[in-house]
Amino acid sequence: MKTISSLLDADWHERYRRIANLNIRSSIYDVTNRCNLRCKGCFFFSSGEHHVEEETDIRKWEAFIDHEKERGVNLAILIGGEPTLCMDRVEAFYKRIPTYCATNGLIKVSREQFPDMMVGISLWGGGEDEKILRGKDTFAISSKNYEGDPYTYYLYTVTPKQVGKTEPVIRRIAEHGLKVHLQLLSNDEGVDGFSWRAEELRDLRAEMDAMLDQYPQTVISSKYYHEVITTGMMLGRRFGWMECPSVTESMDRRQPPVRRLIRFYRWAADLKTVHRCCTSATRDCSTCKDGAAHMSWIMVNKRDHMNTTRDLQNWIEVYEMFAKLYRLIPW
Amino acid sequence: MPEANLEGMIRKVADIIIGELKLEEVTAETFNPDMDLVDELGIDSMDLATIALVLQDEFKVAIDEDDYPKLKTVRLICRYIEDKLAAKH
Repeated sequence: MKTISSLLDADWHERYRRIANLNIRSSIYDVTNRCNLRCKGCFFFSSGEHHVEEETDIRKWEAFIDHEKERGVNLAILIGGEPTLCMDRVEAFYKRIPTYCATNGLIKVSREQFPDMMVGISLWGGGEDEKILRGKDTFAISSKNYEGDPYTYYLYTVTPKQVGKTEPVIRRIAEHGLKVHLQLLSNDEGVDGFSWRAEELRDLRAEMDAMLDQYPQTVISSKYYHEVITTGMMLGRRFGWMECPSVTESMDRRQPPVRRLIRFYRWAADLKTVHRCCTSATRDCSTCKDGAAHMSWIMVNKRDHMNTTRDLQNWIEVYEMFAKLYRLIPW
Repeated sequence: MPEANLEGMIRKVADIIIGELKLEEVTAETFNPDMDLVDELGIDSMDLATIALVLQDEFKVAIDEDDYPKLKTVRLICRYIEDKLAAKH
């Protein structure tokens, strides 16, 4: 029988212990239907997820969040729309549950109001790609707003056009004293030239590995995560609907049951509607490149990684990456 | 609970865990009842939830998810079940 101590030496076992009992219960919340950008490829708008009546009564938000806490949620992931357009709702979460706020970074989160809230700034490449996909170069603004902030990182969504061009972006992030995590664009709106080809994914994997080696203090990632997200394969299994762990619990009727995030829901801003998963219900799961879904896929399959020492170490590195992204363990 | 009954329950719980986790090269008789299930066997809360369902059916006790952190070993699971059964009578 394979055991943890039969696979790991003392140092790795200690790393395992540090994360094994975190017991994260996350859920995702659309804080608002509004955004101050309209990005091509944003699944929120392209799939019509904003077509709900937004709840505006802050007392109802507070009661809802209290109920979520009672439901066992211990990590609230705020997305949108743009959450920072509704700081009172963000504050309602922050005061009740450990909170992560995804933002485009155009509006600065006050550190007086939210001293240790994790902030993830979306970034879609260098200036030219950002202009094509988002209408403006947001980095110029967000990097000033958050320069040196110890609770902020960039969530850099790499596009096929960025292959071979990520180093200058990562260098700029490092120069601004910030961290970065890499994920891949899922071309939900079929923007010309932004769908992945096999050779681009292969080249990007090598590039992501090189960036992790070159900027270990800046890039929060792991090479195994790079492998899984660029190949869509884990331990010989292919990512897809029958593998994805990030499905709203009440909508998950898959048989046989799939290893999944316990108690995970994704709530719309009306506080009544639930969305199918952490991205868009219109997305083809077989081509989904969502970074969070892929890292969760690895994380919920721990025992399947107890075949070899290397497999289990890979699992630990991905879990550590996740824990660092939410500052559950130090950077 | 008499010692013989406890030993029987330990073997039954071990057998359930071995079956649910499809463990190889171990039997209910050789399973160490004091082995830490998370720290050594690598089980997570979803594994525990699956095992808890079977235990609930087998022993006719409710296992609260908030109690999962207490269920660190087979022996502790058995003590937990014992307490639940005693509380019913």
